[in-house]
Amino acid sequence: MKTEITDFKGNKRIKITGDIDMHTSPELREVLLSIIKKSKNQCVCVDFTDVTYIDSSGIATFVEGLKAIRASGSRLFFYGLPESIMEIFRFSRLDRVFEIFRTFEDAFGI
Amino acid sequence: MKDSVKIIIPSHPKYLSVVRNVTSKIGEIYGIDETIVNDLKLAIDEACTNIIRHAYKGDTTKRIIIRYTVNPGQYTVVLEDNGIKADKNKLKGRDLNDIKPGGLGIHFIKRVFDIFMLDEKKKKGNRLILVKYLK
Repeated sequence: MKTEITDFKGNKRIKITGDIDMHTSPELREVLLSIIKKSKNQCVCVDFTDVTYIDSSGIATFVEGLKAIRASGSRLFFYGLPESIMEIFRFSRLDRVFEIFRTFEDAFGI
Repeated sequence: MKDSVKIIIPSHPKYLSVVRNVTSKIGEIYGIDETIVNDLKLAIDEACTNIIRHAYKGDTTKRIIIRYTVNPGQYTVVLEDNGIKADKNKLKGRDLNDIKPGGLGIHFIKRVFDIFMLDEKKKKGNRLILVKYLK
């Protein structure tokens, strides 16, 4: 798994490439929580377009991130989820909890 | 003789991708639908994750044995470890409406497998038997 962080109009975009599992989720957790910790009234946007796999460890990381970001006044949202990963969020009933958009443009309303 | 494939992996999370690749390949060999193979990959990965986390308490020096057997209409996976015995009464996922980190792995396993059984005859460690009926 690789993560790439870019700025977009004062917001943060995290692009993830590869598998998120028990092996890689600690690294993702470190990246995500570090960005959230520094964010204030910002959007942290996760690009799932090139995520090839996610397991419960990865999902737990994002749930933890969501709880942390709510305390900071910022927003966490996702876009570009492949259908197989969207299905996992639906099954876990987390599609109702996370803000999920189809594309980056939809997410930022541009 | 039944066709079966047995793999043994160290109890380190970096080998979970090996399990997923083997699961994919077996699905391909037997012509199993890709959506089902994706569900199987996640479920078997979660079963291994549970072994590493709960049976071996994160000890990466142990081993996990995974045996796949595919017969017409039936896909069976048996996972064995020599770790701490699981309490079958605690093998429940969290309430899906209670949003918190963790507790989803068992749901992902039971979502795809029709039979989820801990073999109580195994004296040391755990033997988890998972069966999916194929249509």
